Amino acid sequence: MSDQGLRIAGLHCSVDGNEILKGIDLVVEPGKVHALMGPNGSGKSTLAFSLTGHPKYDVTAGTATLDGEDILALPADKRARAGLFLSFQYPAAIPGVKVPNFLYAARQAVRPGELTPSKFRAALLQSMDTLGMDPSFLGRYLNDGFSGGEKKRLEMLQLAVLAPKYAILDETDSGLDVDALKDVGESVKALRASEEGKNTGFLIITHYPRILQHIDADVVHVMMDGRIVKTGGPDLANRIEREGYDVIREETRSLA
Amino acid sequence: MPSATANARDAAFARFRATPSGREKPGRYWKIDLETYEPSNLPEAQPAGAVEIEAPQGRFVACDLHVAMRDHAAALDRAMGRAIRPEHKWAALAQAFTHLGAFIHLPADVNVDEPIVVRYDVPDGSAVFPYTIVLAERGARATIVECFDGGENASICGIAEIVTEESADVTYAAAQMLPASTEIFFTRAALPGRNARVHWACADLGGRLAVGDLAVTIAEPGVEARIASVFFPGEKQHVDIRTTVDHRTGDSASETLVKSAATGDGQGRYLGNILIEAHAQRSNASLRDDALLLSKRAHIDSVPALEIAANDVKAFHGATVGALDDDAIFYMTSRGIEREAAQRMIALGFFEPVIDRFPTEALRDELRDALAQKVG
Repeated sequence: MSDQGLRIAGLHCSVDGNEILKGIDLVVEPGKVHALMGPNGSGKSTLAFSLTGHPKYDVTAGTATLDGEDILALPADKRARAGLFLSFQYPAAIPGVKVPNFLYAARQAVRPGELTPSKFRAALLQSMDTLGMDPSFLGRYLNDGFSGGEKKRLEMLQLAVLAPKYAILDETDSGLDVDALKDVGESVKALRASEEGKNTGFLIITHYPRILQHIDADVVHVMMDGRIVKTGGPDLANRIEREGYDVIREETRSLA
Repeated sequence: MPSATANARDAAFARFRATPSGREKPGRYWKIDLETYEPSNLPEAQPAGAVEIEAPQGRFVACDLHVAMRDHAAALDRAMGRAIRPEHKWAALAQAFTHLGAFIHLPADVNVDEPIVVRYDVPDGSAVFPYTIVLAERGARATIVECFDGGENASICGIAEIVTEESADVTYAAAQMLPASTEIFFTRAALPGRNARVHWACADLGGRLAVGDLAVTIAEPGVEARIASVFFPGEKQHVDIRTTVDHRTGDSASETLVKSAATGDGQGRYLGNILIEAHAQRSNASLRDDALLLSKRAHIDSVPALEIAANDVKAFHGATVGALDDDAIFYMTSRGIEREAAQRMIALGFFEPVIDRFPTEALRDELRDALAQKVG
């Protein structure tokens, strides 16, 4: 169907009155993996937050629909229930809220009544195993005192537990060592191989191409100064690895 | 009656009136002057109420205060009034009118695994002056849970006092969830012996006005003192809590942990005193106090007060006052959890480190339920 997908058109977004996104057009189809690359400050995270409904991000023009539903009109919790997920670059620590209680509350909110607590727990332990997470995580408070790598693994665990229709991974690779990056890749593969996650569309936001060695992207976009300046296949990521962003910047400038 | 003569009673009442409250004057938010405030049911009210003590079998005494005065007078004398400090204004009032209570005497090396529960029944409209006294001899260990039933429009002014010998270990939990029409004044004071552990865990969730003094006087080395307090004024409630840890001798450790919240037009005040006296070298004291404001009209005034006269000590204090963290709310809502549910989970999580200090799962769950009700 033509309205399937996470469809973003002409999206402008301001933060504290400063325009960061200057017209984004992007369609993530079900089951496809899009990588969004770009130098720091290009607006990648702003796109992630404006799509998920952070109150500080003010969408001033454009549309965003999820399988035909206008998500910009919805508060953040309803966007998640519509099937959108964001893996945070800097997830909040919430002392006193235990990891499994939070995960179960989130799962129940997004997919009410599908899993009994015992089946949920079994699925949770399985996903934790894939991510190389010790069961002791279940006794800890949400992100409280977590290392950077532990936080990212917990984000990936939430991705696995919630099995969203569309997942935005915001710099999930930053601060991860090679082993952790491999676990993230395995976790995404496991989700895509599952019945719940086989149609999940991904938007993987990254500065460095190395995460794409673990997750195969179908489409690669390059973002600069609040606009997508180039779109291509997986080769585009390799070019960025070899030549850096400056070459792409020069190219797009000469085209403009 | 503990205050044996009318003269002693009059003297205690005079001492109450003469003792400064140690509190600030009323201000923009806090409206009650504790300097002159007297419970509304005083002094004509007939003594009322009852005490019920639930204790497991064992080689120790857990009895009504009247019985203790008759049968265990010498032991009672070793503890009663010894931990109360001269600045405890409301203790003087309690002593003037004390008419019921409980005495728990743990002989040396007696360990009581099940909690000893002291339950005060407070009739509506009554004035109740309860006094719970714990004497723990060398190496004894026990957990005491104090609770209150009933009490619409009542006045409660009470004392809990712990005196221990060497290496004793006493945990005392008190959670009041009294009706919002009641006024409560409580003094809880401990005097631990050498190498002893004393843990207070107190919750003030009910009452129109709840005033609490929590104190540990450390006069022996090797003491581990912990104070955990949670309080939560809601609509039309005033709660004022003062904690005092006085390190008179060195080589001891204390930890004070306070989590408070206010909602509606609830008003709270917290004063956290840590005193480390000049010769109390190698003391280790920490004070952590966090306040959560859940409405625009709610207010909590939080004052940590550290007076350190010794030079070889470790002292930490940290305090925060604020609303719920917007980033935390966004994070939870981005997972599909409704905003109100997210706020409730975060607010309840905020209290969890103090709830953790309460000794039984049943009590912890009761507190969580009561806090959830208040968070709304």
